[in-house]
Amino acid sequence: MRSQFWGLYSREVVRTFRNPLVLGLTLVQPFMWLAFFGSAWEQIASKNLGVFGTTNYIAFLLPGVLSTSMLSVGMFGAMSTIQDKRFGFMKRILITPTTKGVIFLSKSLGSATRGLVQIPVMLVAAAAWGVPLGHIPPLDWAAWGVMLFFMAMGFSSLFLAVTAPSTDWQTPAVLANFVTMPFTFASASLVPTAGFPWWMKLISELNPITYSTLLGRAFVLGRSVPWDNLWGMIGFGVICLVVGYFVSARWLRVE
Amino acid sequence: MPEEDAIVIRDVSKRYGSGAHSVLALDHVSLSIPKGTVFGLLGPNGAGKTTIIKLLTGISPISEGTAHVAGYDVHRESLKVRARIGWVAAEVILDDDFSGWENLRFQARLQDLTEWEERANALLRYFELSDRKDDKVSTYSTGMRKKLEIALALLHEPMVVFMDEPTIGLDVATRRMLWDIVTGIHREFGVTVLLTSHYIEEADALCDRIAIIDQGKIIAEGTPSELKARVNADIVELTLSDGTDPKVLSTLAGVQEVRAQGNGWILRVESSETFLQHLLSSVPADHIRRISIEKPSLETVFLQLTGRRFGQDEPAKDVKKFYAQIRRLRV
Repeated sequence: MRSQFWGLYSREVVRTFRNPLVLGLTLVQPFMWLAFFGSAWEQIASKNLGVFGTTNYIAFLLPGVLSTSMLSVGMFGAMSTIQDKRFGFMKRILITPTTKGVIFLSKSLGSATRGLVQIPVMLVAAAAWGVPLGHIPPLDWAAWGVMLFFMAMGFSSLFLAVTAPSTDWQTPAVLANFVTMPFTFASASLVPTAGFPWWMKLISELNPITYSTLLGRAFVLGRSVPWDNLWGMIGFGVICLVVGYFVSARWLRVE
Repeated sequence: MPEEDAIVIRDVSKRYGSGAHSVLALDHVSLSIPKGTVFGLLGPNGAGKTTIIKLLTGISPISEGTAHVAGYDVHRESLKVRARIGWVAAEVILDDDFSGWENLRFQARLQDLTEWEERANALLRYFELSDRKDDKVSTYSTGMRKKLEIALALLHEPMVVFMDEPTIGLDVATRRMLWDIVTGIHREFGVTVLLTSHYIEEADALCDRIAIIDQGKIIAEGTPSELKARVNADIVELTLSDGTDPKVLSTLAGVQEVRAQGNGWILRVESSETFLQHLLSSVPADHIRRISIEKPSLETVFLQLTGRRFGQDEPAKDVKKFYAQIRRLRV
């Protein structure tokens, strides 16, 4: 099982680096949020210190963008699985002693790993934009990385579980479009949630992106760190992984 | 299960979906395939050939009956079966982003092999791919890709290799090359090969034994010679001009059977040479618009057993509908 997992996992990760266009766009996509959204809102934030708690909107935005980019990571994992089904690769894998559960685990963890590639690029870009990061201690960096990894793993698992019975390449894209709006905007990723109407506040409190953003923002802005968010996110990732494993083992369609 | 049988299928049926809209793709099929043979499943599109491979490789569950491959039950001991089989698809399925060697390494990991490099190098040498093993497979020719795919199927020294329409869509030269490879790997590596095909000449050239399958049922099985011997007659296809009484055909000496087909007739005759003499003495030559004679072949076997030729039959018209129905009902 270990050999099969490693084979599938490394294929998932290595494939990203074999396609320069995919790699480039994966890295640039969250950077664009900082560039366009960040620049547009920076002037508003600079005059509304009380709302954002900082005049540096890019610093406020960085943890939110890193968190939301983990959402798209899940979509890519599901799309890669659908592609494997459509081109017959899933059959090739399953006509070996490889189980559907191992395929799920390798896809989910492979996608999460691929998501982590974005983090250093984003941090360098943010630093170049004047976001101070030097004050963050190594332990906090590690905690932030763990948080993002478990969130990416959770989202990947959810996408893979929902799309397991499907062979339609449109399914992951349509699903991603459907959930991107509520997950992104009904969260603390772009603006503080204090001014949200009650129903958006409710969604944001159930939204993993909020918890990831608040933890990262505490590190960047030097606020009190909500460590419970980290444990909650590890729980979210593990639960999604376990549920996704059993759903895929039962319902993963081969072709 | 006898020691000498690589595959044993007992009364296997496959039904896609349930209730009134279900489709019966296989209907109580039984087969025994001895070790070390090249066995062909020959039948038109939609006959159930690929379904048999899906059931035997564990891709699709059996609805009824039992099947054993390499001594293991395909349902209860699926992982053991999958460790002992190789699979060559109709379309080449490789990872184009990777080199030939990387594809082999990936396959070795899926098969949980530790000592595989020596075997991989031997296979690359056998298939004359050693010089290109580090190149991306997207740069390989169709023939090279097919060879690599067969090398992947043989990497873990399987007992049985399934080849599902391995030459479909290939040009004549590559198809011939594939035939040589199938014969070669069978001889060189001693594997049992289960091959599906709807090319009659392919099954005839490659297979030690053949089962003819039609509409989900095995309708004949034997060596190519045994099957051809069953016909024991020549087939004559004939079109007469309007106004000629076709009843005269059945009165000619040596005619065993007369069957209408389109605007013509298909006759089974003891000897086509004798028949022609009798025909020309009873029917004016200018009343014969078209005539063709066929000596016993697998095509004539199929014709005799089903009353139809490959590809011109009624069910073939429904192949698209059949597959669409299966896609909707697939389990």
